Amino acid sequence: METKVGVFFCNCGGAIKNIDFDAALREVARLPGVISVNLDSSLCLEEGKERMVSSIRDEKMERVVVAGCSPLLKEHIFQGILEKAGLNKHLLSMANIREQCSWVHDGDVTAKAVDLVRMAINRVLLLQPVETKETAVSKEVLVAGSGFAALNVALQLSHLGLRTTVMEEGPVLRAGSEEPAAVYGVDASSIIAEVEANENVEVLTSARVMTLEGKVGGFGVRIKKAGKETFRRYGAIVLATGHRTEIVNPGAEAGASVVSQKAFTDILRNSSLEREPRTVGFILDFSDENSRFPTLATLNSALAAKKKWGSEIYVFYKSVKVDSEGVERLYQQARDSGVVFVKSETAPKIGVEDGRVKVEGRDVFAGEDLVLACDVLVAEELYLPAEGTETFSSLLNVRTDPKGFWQDDNVHLYPVGSEKKGIFFVGGCRGDLDPGRMLADISGVAMNIGELLSAGKVAADFERVKADPQKCVACLTCIRVCPHGAIQLVRVESSKDVAQISDLACDACGVCAAVCPAKAIAFQGYRDEEILAQIEAIKRS
Amino acid sequence: MNGKIVAFCCENSAYPAADLAGKLGLHYSENLRIIRVPCAGRVDVIHILKALENGAAGVLVLGCEEGACRHITGNTRAKERVEYSSMLLREINLDGRVVAMFNLSPNAPHKFVKAVNDIGNITAEPGR
Repeated sequence: METKVGVFFCNCGGAIKNIDFDAALREVARLPGVISVNLDSSLCLEEGKERMVSSIRDEKMERVVVAGCSPLLKEHIFQGILEKAGLNKHLLSMANIREQCSWVHDGDVTAKAVDLVRMAINRVLLLQPVETKETAVSKEVLVAGSGFAALNVALQLSHLGLRTTVMEEGPVLRAGSEEPAAVYGVDASSIIAEVEANENVEVLTSARVMTLEGKVGGFGVRIKKAGKETFRRYGAIVLATGHRTEIVNPGAEAGASVVSQKAFTDILRNSSLEREPRTVGFILDFSDENSRFPTLATLNSALAAKKKWGSEIYVFYKSVKVDSEGVERLYQQARDSGVVFVKSETAPKIGVEDGRVKVEGRDVFAGEDLVLACDVLVAEELYLPAEGTETFSSLLNVRTDPKGFWQDDNVHLYPVGSEKKGIFFVGGCRGDLDPGRMLADISGVAMNIGELLSAGKVAADFERVKADPQKCVACLTCIRVCPHGAIQLVRVESSKDVAQISDLACDACGVCAAVCPAKAIAFQGYRDEEILAQIEAIKRS
Repeated sequence: MNGKIVAFCCENSAYPAADLAGKLGLHYSENLRIIRVPCAGRVDVIHILKALENGAAGVLVLGCEEGACRHITGNTRAKERVEYSSMLLREINLDGRVVAMFNLSPNAPHKFVKAVNDIGNITAEPGR
């Protein structure tokens, strides 16, 4: 028996003017499988939706084609209508006769509109229903790292009712010793106390991840602590391994008077110098002009030193990066309080003279060379990914940007997550972020994970993308190319290995279906047959 | 030949760009037939060749800008397949230029129209 297709034209309240709908309806009614053609002026409004639901039910339609606006705008609405009428939502195909036909051509475009509907009918006849199935997910989250960002994420997740394990390779939580806590004098003890008191947060120190398997909702992680390995399941993983800094070319013999940002903060806080420094130099951003964190640290420290000691302060810079919140103001404050900014094109030379640090630079604005003897020089620092970032990258198979940070190059596509569902990044491991951005990320990650795991189950299309066990030869091509790491090999019938696509981790791109040499992978809605059927329609027009 | 041009449009970039072209009232050839795909990486050589076999004068594969593919490598894979198809055409002494890949972002309707016009100019060359 022929499949019954119902076609709904929508003239979008009269916004589609250059199509002769009467002629189009007559023509479409003659196409194979079409049992009814309807014209409406407002399918996406409540009354239109009701008319559509009753038409689908009354005429016992098995497939539906909607010819009207772009599917990117309203496909979900029409899918909802199909479900309401008792049809599977995947049995819908749309012909975009508004944006991609009526509005881009002058004159009568009835023939093209009929062509587009014919393509949609050809496709809809082949569509298969796809069920939605709920999968249970673990409500536990693993947070790797124990810095400021890691602890904040853990606390926010605990407020959402999720249990987290904070895992640190070192013997103690890092939040107390690391930036930004140290640089800004943020009191980290309160957050550490809060974490330790929170029963939804478990702290594992001196522990490390040995192996990792599985997909979002059920990552299997083998953790080694005190020589003992345990296997645990987590619904999501947050990497907050932080960053490290490295002093750029301190000058061979410069010695103890050349310090790092962090060491300088300690000096400021503990007054550990024998006498107050009369002159302090800073070197800023010659190696990397995008240095947000070092800029912030420099401005803060310069202001603090000015206030505490009243020293003369010189900052050698190439281009102060002031795009973080409040940094422009901080820069102005520093200038107003008498901090001297010296713009150079190349990094100044550092040497020693009479026990003081000698800095030789060139002020490009004054156009003259400058030699400065300072009591303390805060060296230029590079902001780098923490040690261990590479290990995690290969363990999780996630990409890093050219500097080795996680995903900072792709923030628009995956603002806080990775291309692998269920793996998130937060804090310094994502790049040189100022605290404002970091806090925004922390909330973003918590929201994302909360949405994903709080219900304890996730609804997803069931086997929308599936490898046929008869055709699959386990060549691993799909596993290698899958951008979302959603495919793994499973053993069926005790001897045969078959690629299995995780419904939860799959992002429905179809790359695997295109590369499969055995043509074993069917991606419902975009199978070869369905794409070729649309092409076939071109021949007949 | 009916002069039709088939454009496989990635739903993350080229498809919304085509929608935007409509909203802005831009114009391109009526011969264009757009096929929506979830990622340019879904397009296979067989789809491109079948389109030509069915009488299309040209085939476009339109995906995200390089380095900005939602599915990381989908657009570069598509490009390889387009180049391969083009090579197959040249091997049998056909014009390889009628199969082309363009990268664009969803907010680039003018680039979309240019891609359609460019391939239209090739397929409309006299003597074809």
